[in-house]
Amino acid sequence: MLIPRRVKHRKQHHPGRSGAAKGGTTIAFGDYGIQALEPAYVTNRQIESARIAMTRYMKRGGKVWINIYPDRPLTKKPAETRMGSGKGSPEWWIANVKPGRIMFEISGVPEETAREALRLAMHKLPMKCRFVRREGGDF
Amino acid sequence: MSDTKLVAEARTQFGKGAARRIRRDHKIPAVMYGHGTAPVHITLPGHDTMLALKQSNALLTIVLDGDEQLALAKDIQRDPIKPVIEHVDLVIVRRGERVVVDVPVHVEGEAAPETIVTTDHTSLQLEVEATHIPDSISVSVDGAEAGTQVLAGQIQLPEGSTLVTDPEALVVNVTAQVSEEALEAELADAEAEAGIEREEHDEATDEPAAAAEGEAASGDAEQPADEA
Repeated sequence: MLIPRRVKHRKQHHPGRSGAAKGGTTIAFGDYGIQALEPAYVTNRQIESARIAMTRYMKRGGKVWINIYPDRPLTKKPAETRMGSGKGSPEWWIANVKPGRIMFEISGVPEETAREALRLAMHKLPMKCRFVRREGGDF
Repeated sequence: MSDTKLVAEARTQFGKGAARRIRRDHKIPAVMYGHGTAPVHITLPGHDTMLALKQSNALLTIVLDGDEQLALAKDIQRDPIKPVIEHVDLVIVRRGERVVVDVPVHVEGEAAPETIVTTDHTSLQLEVEATHIPDSISVSVDGAEAGTQVLAGQIQLPEGSTLVTDPEALVVNVTAQVSEEALEAELADAEAEAGIEREEHDEATDEPAAAAEGEAASGDAEQPADEA
């Protein structure tokens, strides 16, 4: 699973969720991709689960690119704990995804296979997404 | 190469307010420059421009106050979510003039079995005549074995075009597929690490794992290995 090797600060503020993606909104490497349509925190488990889903469907035929990285820690206080006593311990690693961001790209498979593989992967992600193609996508 | 005629209007108001009013009227704000002339701010018809720009390197004839001007789209700003063109930069060209454009690469044919074809450069920069810009460059990988690499300099270019991209740039790479056992082992390791359980009917149909991630329930957050 994707996880930072070392970090400057163990506990961070929650990342901002407003606005749209400033970059990474077009397909850069592959032929097909998944584009986020809503803001969301995507955990490293969700990224891995989506990658496994699409790789299992494509079997050995395709290549996968992951364009997001879970570099932000989220903390959680233990259950039944009184307020105060400092910030909780790091619980998740998340990528802060804004609408428009291309999260995954694949190539080397026909479009029907790519659509199904990415549909399966989208079910592992916590936001509305859409399938996009290199040539202009859905536009 | 098609030649599309677009009737433009000169723009007198500027800024985001004026631009938004133009977009609300289903038009596109644009700017046209080149050949040392002062930039001309114009408004283009939204739907016709969108259809014309579906083709890469479309040569446009801009009609402004009765004068016709040939132009190429240099930069197109699109909304990342909505199918809307927000702004277009047009560069003025003349008939017979040579221009540098990005021409998309199309991979054709079936490579040898057990291989993956990856396109590293999806477009090549060519210097071509403005009125004869090729739609695409075809690269055949028919029967290509694993290890085959197609460099930019090896590609047969359309007549009258010169390559601007580095001739040593890798365009198409044919690699061997990972073996069935290696892929299965890698996915099994990844599933074990992520705590994904595959059900028996998944194994039989080879469908993706339907098990939930269960990340919140597990509560075994990975700690950073090292802190600064």
